[in-house]
Amino acid sequence: MLQNFRWDALEQYLPYFFEGIVMTVEITVISVLLGTIIGLFAGMGRLSSVLPLRWLSNIYVGFFRGTPLFVQILLIHFAVLPSLLGSSTSPFVSGVVALSLNAGAYIAEIFRAGIQSIDKGQMEAARSLGMSQGQAMRMIILPQAFRRMLPPLGNEAIMLLKDSSLLAAISLPEVTYYAKLMQGKTYLAWEPFLTLALMYLVLTLILARIVSFLERKYGTV
Amino acid sequence: MIKVRDLHKSFGQLEVLKGVDCEITEGEVVCVIGPSGSGKSTFLRCLNRLEEITKGDVVVLGKNIADPKTDINAVRREVGMVFQRFNLFPHKTVLDNISLAPQKVRKMDKAAAEKKAMELLGKVGLREKANAYPNQLSGGQQQRVAIARALAMNPKVLLFDEPTSALDPEMVGEVLDVMKQLAQEGMTMIVVTHEMGFAREVGDRVFFMDQGYIMEEGKPEQIFSAPQNERTKNFLSKVL
Repeated sequence: MLQNFRWDALEQYLPYFFEGIVMTVEITVISVLLGTIIGLFAGMGRLSSVLPLRWLSNIYVGFFRGTPLFVQILLIHFAVLPSLLGSSTSPFVSGVVALSLNAGAYIAEIFRAGIQSIDKGQMEAARSLGMSQGQAMRMIILPQAFRRMLPPLGNEAIMLLKDSSLLAAISLPEVTYYAKLMQGKTYLAWEPFLTLALMYLVLTLILARIVSFLERKYGTV
Repeated sequence: MIKVRDLHKSFGQLEVLKGVDCEITEGEVVCVIGPSGSGKSTFLRCLNRLEEITKGDVVVLGKNIADPKTDINAVRREVGMVFQRFNLFPHKTVLDNISLAPQKVRKMDKAAAEKKAMELLGKVGLREKANAYPNQLSGGQQQRVAIARALAMNPKVLLFDEPTSALDPEMVGEVLDVMKQLAQEGMTMIVVTHEMGFAREVGDRVFFMDQGYIMEEGKPEQIFSAPQNERTKNFLSKVL
């Protein structure tokens, strides 16, 4: 296999791969950030004493955890966003919306578990000093919960990075899209897809490193 | 200062407080004793509404906190609480633990809040621990920090929920000494405790609680030497 490996063809397409990686990283970072914000609110919604908020959060989390991401991408890109906006959106916008909403559902669960893992004496101590519920959440509970959430959050970021490959299906020019493009043009298979796999592997290894660095820096309470 | 009338508290079907009445005046040190499950911690936690009040009136500093419309945060500012398990904030230094609430709740500036925190640390004998984290301290030290944290808000009343029950025996004394000093300075204190020696020596009044009621109350010498109620006699014969 390796003696027939078409290095020359790969070399020709490599600049596209790197362009694709930039897009992959970009959409992953944006979606992790947006997903974390969505997850924070949905997670608190699931713990809320206000019933409609809890229902809404439960429906949201239930739907996005209970259906395939691939189906969510198709639904959002071809049906939901065009109906809402009256015109089709760019694959980038659809991709960010789909990935963020999907990640938000999982991160909501991470937040819920993180908040619930903090001893309830912490909230009582903060409230007995006269802090409001919001102040206690912001200054006492969330900083502690966040440290415990780092490992599962890192996990989620790695999943998201890999799952962004599904966006090739709506022609987002990320790295998988270019690998498929190369296959279509050259009829080669090993060259584009092995390269693609190795690139994801390198990206996830780097991400895992960053996560364990953050864990060491902030991890212990 | 605190007036409680017909206080009831239920957890689901279980009625823990079945009608508690009492009045506590400024400068008094009231020790609450009784067997476990008698409702004494629940009673204390109703005084700053850490437990929702099922029925009755709890008037603290002129505000009825049983009324849901009362601004509970404003009342809690004036009512400090010390917990059995300390509940210090593990992600903050000792200094930040003490100076956080004065800054965020009383809107004190940082320098003034930290200066005050250092004074209080001096008072509980832990100045050198200002920059330590709670998990670097012994239980007794943590509880003294927790007392300093409560004092930083300049409370008018301090509530103690079994403050020495989670401590190793050799650390009980250092915490009781701080509390004794506060009592001598005239702080109004309500102390749920199993330390009968403390109740006898420092308390102005003792409440004996059992089965959701205050069964007997009186001066320590009367309660400990000549209890009237059968249950009080029975309880004291076991613990003394």
